[in-house]
Amino acid sequence: MATREVISTGNELSAIAAVDAGCKFFGGYPLTPSSEVMHVISDLLPKVGGVSIQMEDEIAGICCVIGAAMAGDRALTATSGPGMSLKAENLGLAQMAEVPLVCVNVMRGGPSTGLPTRVSQGDIKQSSNPSHGDYRSITLCAGSLAECYTETVRAFNLADRFMQPVIVLLDETIGHMHGKADLPTVEDVKAGIVPRKTFDGPAEEYFPYECGPTEAATLNPMFEGYRYHYTGLHHDKNGFPTEEIETCRKLIQRLEDKVMAHQDEIELNEEFMCDDLTGADGEVLIIAYGSVSLAAKESIRHLRAAGIKAGLFRPITIWPSPADRIKHFTDKIKNVLVVELNIRQYTEEIERASGRLDIEGLYKVNGRAISPHEIVSKVKEVF
Amino acid sequence: MAFNYEKYLRIQKMPTLWCWGCGDGVILKAFVRAIEKMGVSQDDVCVISGIGCSGRFSSYVDFNTIHTTHGRTVAYATGVKLARPDKLVVCVAGDGDALAIGGNHTIHGCRRNIDMTMIVINNFIYGLTNSQTSPTTPKGMWTVTQKAGNIDPTFDTCDLAIASGASFVARESMLDPKKLEKILIKSMEHKGFSMMEVLSNCHINLGRKNKMVSAMENLEWIDSITTPKKKYDALSEEEQLNLLPTGILKQDTEADEYCDMYAEIQKAQQGQRKPISQDDFAKKI
Amino acid sequence: MSTFRTENPGDQPVWVNTDNCKACDICVSVCPSGVLAMRYEISSTLGAMIAVEHPEACIGCNECELSCPDFAIFVADKQEFKAAGHSFAKLTDESKARQAAIAANNYYSIEQGAR
Repeated sequence: MATREVISTGNELSAIAAVDAGCKFFGGYPLTPSSEVMHVISDLLPKVGGVSIQMEDEIAGICCVIGAAMAGDRALTATSGPGMSLKAENLGLAQMAEVPLVCVNVMRGGPSTGLPTRVSQGDIKQSSNPSHGDYRSITLCAGSLAECYTETVRAFNLADRFMQPVIVLLDETIGHMHGKADLPTVEDVKAGIVPRKTFDGPAEEYFPYECGPTEAATLNPMFEGYRYHYTGLHHDKNGFPTEEIETCRKLIQRLEDKVMAHQDEIELNEEFMCDDLTGADGEVLIIAYGSVSLAAKESIRHLRAAGIKAGLFRPITIWPSPADRIKHFTDKIKNVLVVELNIRQYTEEIERASGRLDIEGLYKVNGRAISPHEIVSKVKEVF
Repeated sequence: MAFNYEKYLRIQKMPTLWCWGCGDGVILKAFVRAIEKMGVSQDDVCVISGIGCSGRFSSYVDFNTIHTTHGRTVAYATGVKLARPDKLVVCVAGDGDALAIGGNHTIHGCRRNIDMTMIVINNFIYGLTNSQTSPTTPKGMWTVTQKAGNIDPTFDTCDLAIASGASFVARESMLDPKKLEKILIKSMEHKGFSMMEVLSNCHINLGRKNKMVSAMENLEWIDSITTPKKKYDALSEEEQLNLLPTGILKQDTEADEYCDMYAEIQKAQQGQRKPISQDDFAKKI
Repeated sequence: MSTFRTENPGDQPVWVNTDNCKACDICVSVCPSGVLAMRYEISSTLGAMIAVEHPEACIGCNECELSCPDFAIFVADKQEFKAAGHSFAKLTDESKARQAAIAANNYYSIEQGAR
């Protein structure tokens, strides 16, 4: 595939990616360190006949995005941890009503106001279930500048495929990092757009929420001759509220199964220098994601130069987690080190997936990055 | 035959879940009659309701409908309207939905003067969830969260809308459905944010607990606290104290509408006009 | 589920859909002409149901239809009614008095007899 070289920041690349992927609507609120996504897209969208609006608060930001998505637009919002907390209730409505949208979360130090201008990966657990109730979150995490672009593009296609919000995690480091990125061409991005499924038969035969047990709803854009009802309540095949026992059970089970039965379409990992890991003594598996993975890759080069065979398993799709692939590695390799800018948030998922309780960890929550040197030292210390 | 209500209703959902005599049904009827008189196609209408008894409004009408989270109708509607500025967008919210949890969004919808109509069905209580105090519950009334009497001061929905910048503000009750239908048409035909407050009766969860047991008694009470604007303006301050003026309270057809202004932004960004500057506005601050 | 019955069941000035009626009394209270009344009906949820007792007194003002929250009462379209050779009544002292009596009886029929 042809690529083009662009020099930019992570936030800007995410905004550009959205527009290239056909996004026509942005709604949001300023929140450090995500605001630049809104600054950039507020210029780009009106140029292509789209709309970008700064709303009165974070909640209004997600609500207007859901409204625009219901009208048929590909729609984006961008925020950070505190904004995700505020958006939780309405993200839940988008899950329940099966409305596609992309929500970029540029993670910062938390909890609460935390460290607005400094990095963390503290929203990992939150992104698996930002809203109450049962459903499956789809969460992607960019681990490079180029991925700020490509994961945003992928997020829009996944949102339309699975008819639900898709969260794209950046962090303050990658969001504000300025550098070179090799991106796919705009033509390739546009050729790869897979819009939501629509129904084009007679309106009397259209039942938006009637579908197989592992399928997403088929929701036609509004105003095109197919009238139906959106609600956050449990609903029947027309979208009308219901409390009927079987209908309710099937609906919630389908929200779970529509994602989990098709994890192969969502899972994406990077296995950096893992090809020669056989499970022999002394081998080290590092698990990291986001900006930390950049330091992890550098640390692996140092470790190998020092004679330690190390590799990096990097989930790019964070949720649903690549449990089987994780287990494939953790079954083989004794020394596993998770490196994250939080306290054990993804480690607990690794423990669940691997069945092991002896996973080592390097954790930092003071708003500073983890350096390759710190990772090398930790490996030498614990293994 | 009578008016063709079936065309506009999801009749498989009827009868409604509203209590016997609930004003919501009267407002629903006036609304669909207004839409018919306006000649708007059903496919071009979006009705967005909040949470509460009035929130069920959207599930009964055969338009593009959304039943949102509590208080967020205007925020959802802003997204729908900006995405499809040529469509008729109507919000329906109760007094609690619009003025308590949704107060901020109501204020900013008015401020932007974005072209939509917000029908606030004010029954002076949280009806669906059983009698909690709302921002319009009269002082001294019994509510389930203030059993020793309501001490909360009240909002005047229309004053709030006018102060926030809505360009069309009106109030009616469901006592005169013919008048209501006419004013609904005016509010929806107005280009800009139309605040349409409709006073309604909740005899089950407000009236019964406050010595107004039947629907009729509640309607009489609403009648006693309303008077047409012309009469109201001629009264002394003391006489006005416990009265709400009805009719069109504000109508400004010159105010900038948000979608129109955003179209200018699109033109400016596409190089078809110079950027907007302070000189484009008489009132800037 | 109910069918709406917006169709005139047979040259009536006003007719009701008892499937939708919740016996709220509002239509009876707004009729100026004593056409309507509530009747005791043991099978109905509130123990009462709307009845059109004096259709011949209906003046076609449409107040009942417009005030009904439940799409349970309908008035014939003026033009269609006329074209079919019918006409609405005029308001008389007798019908006004009957309406006052019904209202004083808590909107219940004065003709149904004791319960």
